[in-house]
Amino acid sequence: MAADSEPESEVFEITDFTTASEWERFISKVEEVLNDWKLIGNSLGKPLEKGIFTSGTWEEKSDEISFADFKFSVTHHYLVQESTDKEGKDELLEDVVPQSMQDLLGMNNDFPPRAHCLVRWYGLREFVVIAPAAHSDAVLSESKCNLLLSSVSIALGNTGCQVPLFVQIHHKWRRMYVGECQGPGVRTDFEMVHLRKVPNQYTHLSGLLDIFKSKIGCPLTPLPPVSIAIRFTYVLQDWQQYFWPQQPPDIDALVGGEVGGLEFGKLPFGACEDPISELHLATTWPHLTEGIIVDNDVYSDLDPIQAPHWSVRVRKAENPQCLLGDFVTEFFKICRRKESTDEILGRSAFEEEGKETADITHALSKLTEPASVPIHKLSVSNMVHTAKKKIRKHRGVEESPLNNDVLNTILLFLFPDAVSEKPLDGTTSTDNNNPPSESEDYNLYNQFKSAPSDSLTYKLALCLCMINFYHGGLKGVAHLWQEFVLEMRFRWENNFLIPGLASGPPDLRCCLLHQKLQMLNCCIERKKARDEGKKTSASDVTNIYPGDAGKAGDQLVPDNLKETDKEKGEVGKSWDSWSDSEEEFFECLSDTEELKGNGQESGKKGGPKEMANLRPEGRLYQHGKLTLLHNGEPLYIPVTQEPAPMTEDLLEEQSEVLAKLGTSAEGAHLRARMQSACLLSDMESFKAANPGCSLEDFVRWYSPRDYIEEEVIDEKGNVVLKGELSARMKIPSNMWVEAWETAKPIPARRQRRLFDDTREAEKVLHYLAIQKPADLARHLLPCVIHAAVLKVKEEESLENISSVKKIIKQIISHSSKVLHFPNPEDKKLEEIIHQITNVEALIARARSLKAKFGTEKCEQEEEKEDLERFVSCLLEQPEVLVTGAGRGHAGRIIHKLFVNAQRAAAMTPPEEELKRMGSPEERRQNSVSDFPPPAGREFILRTTVPRPAPYSKALPQRMYSVLTKEDFRLAGAFSSDTSFF
Amino acid sequence: METIWIYQFRLIVIGDSTVGKSCLLHRFTQGRFPGLRSPACDPTVGVDFFSRLLEIEPGKRIKLQLWDTAGQERFRSITRSYYRNSVGGFLVFDITNRRSFEHVKDWLEEAKMYVQPFRIVFLLVGHKCDLASQRQVTREEAEKLSADCGMKYIETSAKDATNVEESFTILTRDIYELIKKGEICIQDGWEGVKSGFVPNTVHSSEEAVKPRKECFC
Repeated sequence: MAADSEPESEVFEITDFTTASEWERFISKVEEVLNDWKLIGNSLGKPLEKGIFTSGTWEEKSDEISFADFKFSVTHHYLVQESTDKEGKDELLEDVVPQSMQDLLGMNNDFPPRAHCLVRWYGLREFVVIAPAAHSDAVLSESKCNLLLSSVSIALGNTGCQVPLFVQIHHKWRRMYVGECQGPGVRTDFEMVHLRKVPNQYTHLSGLLDIFKSKIGCPLTPLPPVSIAIRFTYVLQDWQQYFWPQQPPDIDALVGGEVGGLEFGKLPFGACEDPISELHLATTWPHLTEGIIVDNDVYSDLDPIQAPHWSVRVRKAENPQCLLGDFVTEFFKICRRKESTDEILGRSAFEEEGKETADITHALSKLTEPASVPIHKLSVSNMVHTAKKKIRKHRGVEESPLNNDVLNTILLFLFPDAVSEKPLDGTTSTDNNNPPSESEDYNLYNQFKSAPSDSLTYKLALCLCMINFYHGGLKGVAHLWQEFVLEMRFRWENNFLIPGLASGPPDLRCCLLHQKLQMLNCCIERKKARDEGKKTSASDVTNIYPGDAGKAGDQLVPDNLKETDKEKGEVGKSWDSWSDSEEEFFECLSDTEELKGNGQESGKKGGPKEMANLRPEGRLYQHGKLTLLHNGEPLYIPVTQEPAPMTEDLLEEQSEVLAKLGTSAEGAHLRARMQSACLLSDMESFKAANPGCSLEDFVRWYSPRDYIEEEVIDEKGNVVLKGELSARMKIPSNMWVEAWETAKPIPARRQRRLFDDTREAEKVLHYLAIQKPADLARHLLPCVIHAAVLKVKEEESLENISSVKKIIKQIISHSSKVLHFPNPEDKKLEEIIHQITNVEALIARARSLKAKFGTEKCEQEEEKEDLERFVSCLLEQPEVLVTGAGRGHAGRIIHKLFVNAQRAAAMTPPEEELKRMGSPEERRQNSVSDFPPPAGREFILRTTVPRPAPYSKALPQRMYSVLTKEDFRLAGAFSSDTSFF
Repeated sequence: METIWIYQFRLIVIGDSTVGKSCLLHRFTQGRFPGLRSPACDPTVGVDFFSRLLEIEPGKRIKLQLWDTAGQERFRSITRSYYRNSVGGFLVFDITNRRSFEHVKDWLEEAKMYVQPFRIVFLLVGHKCDLASQRQVTREEAEKLSADCGMKYIETSAKDATNVEESFTILTRDIYELIKKGEICIQDGWEGVKSGFVPNTVHSSEEAVKPRKECFC
């Protein structure tokens, strides 16, 4: 070696690289990587704790190198450990064998549940693998294998690296590795055999021991004892009496033919097939000594019932079909459809015909009906009749997607007030006044921008999902939506409030569709109030003026008829508030006021004096202490109009318009003018309620901080309060002054409407009518996700799985961020749905395991807790130790499961039975064994012997074997003393 | 000159009436106290709109869309609708009017109710600091309140331009930092933050585009 290095050094000095061969360059590359990764020398760690291979953190580092044009990847795998005082230990323990050799004998991590195959076979905590970089490449020929192995040997020798270095050979699926580990005066060779079939004698412990001993070739007699660890794995796939209870949804059963047979508020849940596909029982004998046990092809002591350790893992069905996940996914697919409702239902002509008929009917009814709506028209029976008429009309269409029963059930679910005994006239449905709930779940709609879970919008979303899933998909959705829109128009035209919507302006924290429906309800409410106001007015007029008075009324000038009637209505209203004892006096006043009023109307518009004589109107209540500045009258707060409610899209349109006016002074003035309708309306109401008032009076009510008061001393030396408008209010021609000068004394009832409910209602109805199913699905998807999350929460609360709680919180957090904005990405929505489906599968798994292990049937508390803990561990850990092995609570149940499966399998045809009876061996074993043949048999043999000569250092020797139906593998690590060889 | 900015932020200005919200905005956007011809701003009706570019670092400009609101109770139903589309806001009180300071929490509570589960980045502004002789709220108690509510605090005067530019710079920078961290993201359909116009130079484009990528991670 020394002689070799000198010529190499000389070559380097003259920088002539052409003499280096490809092989030499490859070796140099390997050495370079080992040096870069600082894998030189020994890095001793502390003994491995039990189970550390599973609970610890594994890391890996990779690089690429080439041998000529063949690429290899080099990967360093290691278990993360606390760093030790490396240098000190190196000095002290210079001659100690490498850590890896010591690990060969470690028993604390045999058969780890999840690990790299080399970790499982050799028990190593650190190693490097050289493998072909491309998956399709392979090192196949023996000469190439030997060449690579030689390279490894040389590289390790040159660098002094003591980490095992493996080379992957053959095709990757075979997982064949050979390797070497070098230490001072010692070496371990890693060898492997992989066969499909093996002679029968070597499938048992005795045969494997023979192989191990002959391989070691130890000359000592007697041979040191061999330590043995054994593991047999049994697979259970047939659950027998624990047949999966959940069936695929049966459409016919859901329809039933009975009203109420469908439960539209309930979402489906669970897996259609058993989400647990297999149970793997591993029975382990962790520490046997040769001679204690017999296992050969004739006889075996290895009875799984007697194994000291049992552990279990479950294999989950890859993608079990989950009802809730499918439910939401199918609805989400509608978001991508392009068709409009008319295109789907194919009844454009019919619709147009219907519209024409409706228009004609509407015109006729307007001509023939009196001003107020007859009472009988508002009855529920009339509404139900109309609804049934619509249903009959639709029944006439041949290919109606939804049959009559389904449609009726849905409509009653959405509109429960339709069957109420209590008429809506004069009362508000309790559904409209949902009490605010403080529960966290109830308020989820804020985060999801959905709708309250007891609202119409939310229920509609559930119904559309149900229809989509069970009743003809897209056509059903289109049909239901069409019916819904018709119902909305019906309610608008007949003043029926829509149930299931909170009263008040649209809630911008809900989805836009919910806001639109709330807007429509606002319109209906205003219209209803207006109509009822008219009726009251007419009634009062009738009451106030008996026959003679009526005649007098008829003689009034026709031009003033309408106005006079309204004024008298107002008088009537005021009159109602007086006590009976004041009746005579009030009538007298009424005459006087009327005369004055007439005079006022005939007179010219005049100054303050004449205005002071106007009769106040539209008062709400008296202000606590303020009085009018000029005449000392009490200041009255007027009845005012409500500002126009807004949905978020209208609001955005408005803000765009306001922003487009720009930032100039003219723009600002125009902006203020555009928004001054409310201010003007309030000023007019104020003037009507407070004849003789001034802008200062209005400001003192409306914007108190703009009226500044200070104490001054008057001429007589008294301290009095003097007030005036703020500086900004005094700016000439500011919007407030302009509005005040424009405002006429008109009570709110007679003002131009701030909110034109008629126009807005038509806008909403048009908006609803033009929604395609895709648009509809987009609007309602937050509600559907909201419902799905509530469903998994509900189901999880029955199971109490801590990991599921965490995942649900993540889903809520993630959904909040995605759904808060108007146009979420499809990819993110799919992710949310996927997460929900995963939770569903997880809960289904928990139920499956609980059923199998009978946690519900346990009567003893201790046993129940034990089993519940066991099931919980199965869900979250790859492999779970069975307390008490085959004799513990869980172990006994597992044993029964296998016994039942074996008995079921034993029901063989008579022919086979006869054949078996003919065999002497079979006849001897009358009963069926409790367990099937093991699916996997694993053996670890360990010993420490001097090799190759009796006087050599005693070193660790290890052989691992695994036998399955189609595989036989031996992985051997054989150490030798190299001091003299 | 082509206008160049990397983001547009929508900010809202709230607080009791007469605390000086509109004057503050006039001073910031037009560089003047409206005192030459008239002693004060017109009282705001509903909402008003201002706009200005602000350079928070050399070469990094943000376009600010500023919505002024009327503080009167009667206009509240109009003005509160603008919270949802704002990424940040100024909460203004008058240091010579203790009651306006006492209402700060009410304003915060209302804003929170309308934007939850998200939040608006607020800066607390003690305005009219030129009227020191009439002060009714000490700096210390204002700073304590702002800290308790998770806001920064600054005192300003539109009359002598004290801290006006600084107040807008502070809030804009804070929002910009949150965007870079990914805590605030550009969302299709949301007006709070929008990406702006960037020239073709590689450096600027990279600077502007990078935070957006982070946002979508």
